[in-house]
Amino acid sequence: MNAIQIKNVTKRYQDVTALDNVSFTFEHGKIYGFLGRNGAGKSTLINIIANRIFTDEGEVLVDDMTARENMDVHEKVFCMSEEDLYADGIKVKDHFKWIDRFYDSFDRKKAFEIAERFGLNTDKKFKQLSKGYQSIFKLTIAMALNVPYVIFDEPVLGLDANHRELFYDLLLREYENNERTIIIATHLIEEVANLIEEVVLIDKGKVLLQENVENLLKTGYSVSGMANNVDAYCSGKNVIGYDELGGMKIAYVLGEKSPAPQGSGVQLSAMNLQKLFVKLTEKGGN
Amino acid sequence: MRKLKSIIQYECITSFKYIWIFYAIQYAAVSLITLIIGISMGSFEEVGTNALEMNTVIYVGILGALGLKEDFKMLIQNGFTRKYIFIATFSMFCFISGSMALVDTAAGNIIHHFNNGYSSLYGGLYGYENIVMNWLWLFLVYVMVCSMLYIGILVINKAGKALSIYLGAAAGGIVLLIIALFRYVFSAGTVSNILGFFAKAMGFMTDGTINYLFPILTLLLVIAALGSGSYAVIRRTELR
Repeated sequence: MNAIQIKNVTKRYQDVTALDNVSFTFEHGKIYGFLGRNGAGKSTLINIIANRIFTDEGEVLVDDMTARENMDVHEKVFCMSEEDLYADGIKVKDHFKWIDRFYDSFDRKKAFEIAERFGLNTDKKFKQLSKGYQSIFKLTIAMALNVPYVIFDEPVLGLDANHRELFYDLLLREYENNERTIIIATHLIEEVANLIEEVVLIDKGKVLLQENVENLLKTGYSVSGMANNVDAYCSGKNVIGYDELGGMKIAYVLGEKSPAPQGSGVQLSAMNLQKLFVKLTEKGGN
Repeated sequence: MRKLKSIIQYECITSFKYIWIFYAIQYAAVSLITLIIGISMGSFEEVGTNALEMNTVIYVGILGALGLKEDFKMLIQNGFTRKYIFIATFSMFCFISGSMALVDTAAGNIIHHFNNGYSSLYGGLYGYENIVMNWLWLFLVYVMVCSMLYIGILVINKAGKALSIYLGAAAGGIVLLIIALFRYVFSAGTVSNILGFFAKAMGFMTDGTINYLFPILTLLLVIAALGSGSYAVIRRTELR
């Protein structure tokens, strides 16, 4: 099976369960948004996929091969991480040289081209780069690597709006030219909303939902109006959260949208991905 | 094998450049100190030093201690398994130790040749007859020091700060216990037998002759034990 399969993965840190029997699949050829609040377990799972930490229970399979201590998956998965793991005394261009030796699928020429697009000075050492340019360096490597599964953990950390746009643009072009699985873990949900096809939402170490973004946005909507009217409309529906201001109320609903009856005094509107995320994770016990 | 070669090359090449800085500083410092003492005493006759290899021992010790810090992160980021990282790190220890042993063997013998008052570490213990054994012994000592510090750092990283302090205290206690055993518990005969055994392990036979092979085998055995221990720990090491 061409996929990253997460099978019953549990990871504990002393008395904290970071991941609790998590199972789902990142299929090949899709762009995923891997979303969750701080401490939800996103980075823990990414680190397990990248063989940086181990599971306490369960396993991760990449194209049916274990991700744990297995050089056969070396050319299959690459994880651009939020943490700075690169040797900081080495120049950017020398990093490119070494990564070119480490990976068969690294396109060094492309890495220099991407670096130039971003204005990344390849003669500088990693430690001399600003936080934003360190992120650019890391995502340059990830985009120049032609592996089937690329994971971006907070890829645009410290990037200005222009660089973020450029990154999304390059990523989409890359995906169009060479279909593969791209997993983006980020807090900037609205920025990636138009990019991702499927969303995996994780909260408190458990998967809350895995859904196609289009379907998810079709089934999520908000109902606004006077509180009693909203309550009447929402009766029996799957309400994932409320906002209230004075006598006005907005309810956020997941499920088949039924038209508001005439004179019901409520308005139905589409819900964006960020609001959906906020309400779903609030419901999880905020 | 190509990937293993690339990671070994990375480890060796990125560590090799610092050797020359080390030697430049070492010999500049020795020259400067000699000059200052010589000038202040008005004569260079009594000025001298011995066993410059001890500086290399400190250097390779630092190398062993740093073997985990940056390289582990960098290599795990680049998708390498712990087995590959371990092989590459040990290869780097061997490469650096071999190169430095070569320089130190040459330097020690040359300095001794021109100045009989200078005694190299190996020459002082085993004499100056066999240059190859001199290099091999130094090489193994350096690898052993690297391995010792490497396993120490791996254990500290794995155990965490609090447990490492307890382990350090326990190790200190064991040392004190051994000293106490030697001083107050073991008979003079037992102490003599134990010391004789260790002396033999390092090649100093009871009849006063020197066996050049024994220290090599002993060092190999210690390195194998430390290496196996390091591998057992790194297999379970997670990125922090």
